[in-house]
Amino acid sequence: MIFKPTREDLKVIGQGIGRVILGVGLIMLIPLVVAVVSTEWLAVIDFLIGIFACVAFWLVTEMTCKTNRDLTWFHGLIVASAGWLTAMFFGAIPHMLSGHFKSYLDACFDLMSGYTTTGLFLLQDLDHVSHGLNMWRHLLTYAGGQGIIVIALTFLFAGTAGAFKIYASEGKEEKLLPNVIRTARAIWMISLTYLVVGSVFLFVALLFEGMPAGRGFLHSVWLFMGAWSTGGFAPQSLNLLYYHSLWIEIVTLVIFVIGSFNFVLHYSVWTRRRTEILKNIEIRSFAITTAVTSFVLAIGLSKGGVYTTISEFLRKGVYNLISGHTTTGNATVYSNSFVGEFGFIAMWGIIIAMAIGASAASTGGGFKGLRVGILTKSLWGDIKGLVSPESAVVREKVHHVRDIWLDEALVKGTMLILLSYVIIYFIGGILGLMYGYEPSVAFFDAVSAGSNTGLSTGLTSPLMPALLKVWYIFVMWAGRLEFLSIFALFGMAVAVVKGKRVGRR
Amino acid sequence: MIRPVRGLAVLAAFIMLATVLLMARAASPADDTVAITRLINHMKQYDGRTVTIRGEAIGDVMVRGTDAWITVNDDEYSRNSIEEGGELVGMSNAGIGIWLSSTDAEKIRICGGYKNKGDIVAVTGTFNRACKEHGGDTDIHATSLEVVKEGYPFERSFPWGKLIALLALVGMAGGLWWYRWYVKKAGLREAHREY
Repeated sequence: MIFKPTREDLKVIGQGIGRVILGVGLIMLIPLVVAVVSTEWLAVIDFLIGIFACVAFWLVTEMTCKTNRDLTWFHGLIVASAGWLTAMFFGAIPHMLSGHFKSYLDACFDLMSGYTTTGLFLLQDLDHVSHGLNMWRHLLTYAGGQGIIVIALTFLFAGTAGAFKIYASEGKEEKLLPNVIRTARAIWMISLTYLVVGSVFLFVALLFEGMPAGRGFLHSVWLFMGAWSTGGFAPQSLNLLYYHSLWIEIVTLVIFVIGSFNFVLHYSVWTRRRTEILKNIEIRSFAITTAVTSFVLAIGLSKGGVYTTISEFLRKGVYNLISGHTTTGNATVYSNSFVGEFGFIAMWGIIIAMAIGASAASTGGGFKGLRVGILTKSLWGDIKGLVSPESAVVREKVHHVRDIWLDEALVKGTMLILLSYVIIYFIGGILGLMYGYEPSVAFFDAVSAGSNTGLSTGLTSPLMPALLKVWYIFVMWAGRLEFLSIFALFGMAVAVVKGKRVGRR
Repeated sequence: MIRPVRGLAVLAAFIMLATVLLMARAASPADDTVAITRLINHMKQYDGRTVTIRGEAIGDVMVRGTDAWITVNDDEYSRNSIEEGGELVGMSNAGIGIWLSSTDAEKIRICGGYKNKGDIVAVTGTFNRACKEHGGDTDIHATSLEVVKEGYPFERSFPWGKLIALLALVGMAGGLWWYRWYVKKAGLREAHREY
């Protein structure tokens, strides 16, 4: 039997969403400062409108949803899923006001792409946007990478016992520390430390490559944010190809590989458990899948005959493959080069890498290395069981910070999430085919959106059909939150319509 | 009997002349300006050929020793800027990296960005689908650059409509804040009286 949510449930959810939106408004203060410093006065007005809209919404929810009740699991799931959607609508305000979007749908697309660290964009004339808007684009992908709920937790939910429920609902069920608020702060400490170190490296590289100091500073911060969050945004339309620099490519590659690692792994290494890097199932899984897909890429590129030297193979082939595998989306080639220059085999090598994706509880998307590791081990266990004596009990384990023994429930749960990803990739591909795109093109962009990668063959553009835009927004959102929160939101919608009324719960 | 022979001779001479003219034209394709999207969509066709592009210098001039990198866009926005009433045409920018001598790069005074319309330049050089010198980059190695039109700062009109919307939102947020404070205070007073 489904119960209709009570008024009190709605108040708890409303209050949670209001605080998430206040968090979005607070983050907008940073691009506002950048716009002021850059004397971009029209952008200043755009951000002020965005900030006051967020504050007004928060005040309305604080007054209409006043409650002292703490969050339950159900509330946490709904706040996470609906919070991300609402944050998209409010965050898109400065985008829309900038005059670089044809429609609000396009602006929302870019917002969801940013929050979910996907990196696809429909913004037009990127090369003429303000520093303020560029800071907002990169900052929201940086913030989204840590999780916008994590931000809200860090500042606005302190002290509530229900905080873990909302934290876990954002696709991060692993805690670094026993207390979830301290976990959220530890995630920020790790990210901010890397921000400083990574930006310094990029700044030096940009100066070395002839970039003026002022713009070099901004570009270094933006490039770091885009790479670390595995978002793949860059301030110029040519993305990484704009810089023509081996050094920038090396530094960004290192940043997005590290960024794609699990925060729990980062914390282990920070707390001097360095051997964890070698033992961790996700690192092993990533190394193996990178080697296999690189082999496929090498076959494809050698058949294509365009990128023939070692340097070209590494800078155009492997860079983009790893960018796809870590679900980053930084690119050193034109979009249509994936079709014209890479060829069918190499392109599918990248599609497989994107579909597998990065680590669990990281900034990345896709199936995740942990799940690939669990399923592979489970399959291996089954094979061992078949060839072992009937009386033998075969059990497999994976090492992820600690040893985890595989049981039926774990494997089943992993299969369910994996199947959900396959379904969204497949539906996206079929939709693309129905609109007349080439199969490789349709599946490349569909997998890219669903795995929160951001590489594109050129299908994703402001001229793409509106239905595809809506579908991509949905899959970016669902893929990032790993489905559970989305199922809960649909469940609540059904409960509101068909649920039975209950007394006080 | 003579007339047809003469006619054929004239026709043959005409065909030969046309062929020579066409070959001469093919030998110096630099006379033609090629759109960057055409280059990108037909890389194989233009690989290694001398081409001329014309567009807006964008972003930064990155000097590397005696040479430099610039980026040139020739999309619709480089012709009709959004800032000057140009339409959104539903596409991203179309640009390409140009590798040129730093002396040529110095001719560029203004690069396009949020505040400026960049210099419009005409660049002639060799198009590389996957440049061997630059790790496979798709680029043009320029032999000449000419500034066709100088860039200038954009003049933007003040958005009064946005200012009104901002003031309305500030008023609304202020009113809500005051009401919240008032209710809280009234609640405290009530609680105090009951106590």
